Amino acid sequence: MSALTTDRKRQLKEVGRHAVLLSWLLFALFPFYWITTMSLKETADALAIPPEWIFVPTFENYLQLMRDPEFAYALANSFLVVGGSVLIVLLIGIPGAYAISRYDIPAERDVMIWILSSRMLPPVAVIVPFFILYNRLGLLDTRVGLTFMLTTINIAIVVWVMKAFFDGIPEALEEAAMVDGATRFQAFRRVVLPTAIPGIIAVAIISFIFGWIELVFSLVLTGTETRTAPIYMYQFIGSRQIDWGMLAAASTVLVMPIVLFLILVNKYLAAGLSFGVALKE
Amino acid sequence: MVTETETQTQTRPGNVRFMERLNEVWEDYLALWFMLPMALFLVVVTFFPGIYNVYLSFTHWDLTEPTLNGTFVGLDNFASAWSRGSTWVSVRNTLVFVTGSLLLQTTIGFVLAALVAGVTSRMRTIYRIGFILPMAAAPVALATMGQIMLNQQIGIIPYLIETLLPVSSPAFLSGEYSLVTVMLVDTWNWTPFMFIVFYAGLTSVPTELKEAAKVDGAPLWRIYAHVIIPYMKPLIFVAVLIRMIDLFREFGLVYSLTGGGPGTSSRLLSIQIFEMGFIGSNLGTAAAVAIVYLVFVIALCTLAIIKVDFEGVWN
Repeated sequence: MSALTTDRKRQLKEVGRHAVLLSWLLFALFPFYWITTMSLKETADALAIPPEWIFVPTFENYLQLMRDPEFAYALANSFLVVGGSVLIVLLIGIPGAYAISRYDIPAERDVMIWILSSRMLPPVAVIVPFFILYNRLGLLDTRVGLTFMLTTINIAIVVWVMKAFFDGIPEALEEAAMVDGATRFQAFRRVVLPTAIPGIIAVAIISFIFGWIELVFSLVLTGTETRTAPIYMYQFIGSRQIDWGMLAAASTVLVMPIVLFLILVNKYLAAGLSFGVALKE
Repeated sequence: MVTETETQTQTRPGNVRFMERLNEVWEDYLALWFMLPMALFLVVVTFFPGIYNVYLSFTHWDLTEPTLNGTFVGLDNFASAWSRGSTWVSVRNTLVFVTGSLLLQTTIGFVLAALVAGVTSRMRTIYRIGFILPMAAAPVALATMGQIMLNQQIGIIPYLIETLLPVSSPAFLSGEYSLVTVMLVDTWNWTPFMFIVFYAGLTSVPTELKEAAKVDGAPLWRIYAHVIIPYMKPLIFVAVLIRMIDLFREFGLVYSLTGGGPGTSSRLLSIQIFEMGFIGSNLGTAAAVAIVYLVFVIALCTLAIIKVDFEGVWN
């Protein structure tokens, strides 16, 4: 009898657990469902209340979006600038992380906090000095200028995660290579780097995401030449005659690459987002 | 032996010798070369804005009257910036926004992670992946979605609330609710971060630890309070710290969702700085707020890091 009740209790608990989790899942995914279906509706139906739950999908909004050369240009710009900044942040961050991990760096802890402090600075507080500097150097509305600023967002995360990753790779690996006649640099390039590839990919994708969703720097530093996809969308916000269907389509286009990326790196996401700390658990 | 090597070296052409020498310098100081680009970059991006903000905050910098730019004005910028009511409102809003969002996201994230960690079926993967997706919503896209879905007349969320619940929907984007609304939207957006980090922590708690506590007959909440949470403490600290840093950085979502309004109802300090500097064209006053904000955030984070100085994170 008592065994039966404990069984009942456990069952009830499981039902409760899934009820909570399924509600949150619905809450988490509903906006995606809504914005995607909205992008596939006719303009007249897009905002109908009560909503048209069942409708014939149309790709008119997407076609219209693609006909606007500015959108394609902004999207390409985003890929170029964010991609470039990821490349730079990896090139300067990975060697730095390796050096901190393997060599005796004086005041290592303070150095790590200093690196982290680059992330603490609120972008809006940083951008005022850079705006004036860029104005003098003629870097406003250039891809180079924006790429540089986007790099600042991710340097801390790259160094912290990669250091944790290198810490987890036994030094015996390089020592073995060096016994076989490789120099330290060769050992790094041919032995350590290949081992660290999963970490590098994860951190590259996370950096890409943070760059992709960035707004302050692009808002201040870009003009017509270098407008990124978020800025392209931003100009519609607040204007009176908004084509909501097209905006829904643009939102979907902006969000979907990131959805794919998140699913791709979901295994490394915790380690990456916690600046490598979850890697040590 | 020695003479032999010397003669060998001498017979080689000069440029080969130079390359060898270069290679030696490269290898001998590898740590330095590896650190140098990163260090230079960091000097520029951390020291320059700090120092230049100090300079700007004491000088005249107005985009509309550039001839006077650079003249020393003493504390005028500070007086002008901090005597405005909107600055203090935005300070209050920022503190409410950061504290409220942090509490919500940490609690919900932890509860969800604990619940998912207990799922044994294949649903676990579905939850784990489904829960992280809101992070994909870029601020502008999310703001667009928010404006559509929360709109009092045409929004699906007020419609659903009024259809399914016996209450009338709050006016999400009105002055009364806008700050709560941006907190809720940010919570939708970033609870995934807390969830995924806590989930990783929870699944790495050694099973023996949990089993031992269970054998003792301890109730679930005690296992969490005395075994699991202490074990995860470094990770919880780091997650809260990173989220706090990012909440203080917040600008894009709130600015594009409400513009800080209506009025100043959801204006954050970051929006105040942006409005002063780039809408009001007065970079001097903007810097007078920015420098205070910079020092405050850095001090708070550094204090937190030093105060909770535990193993685990550093080694």
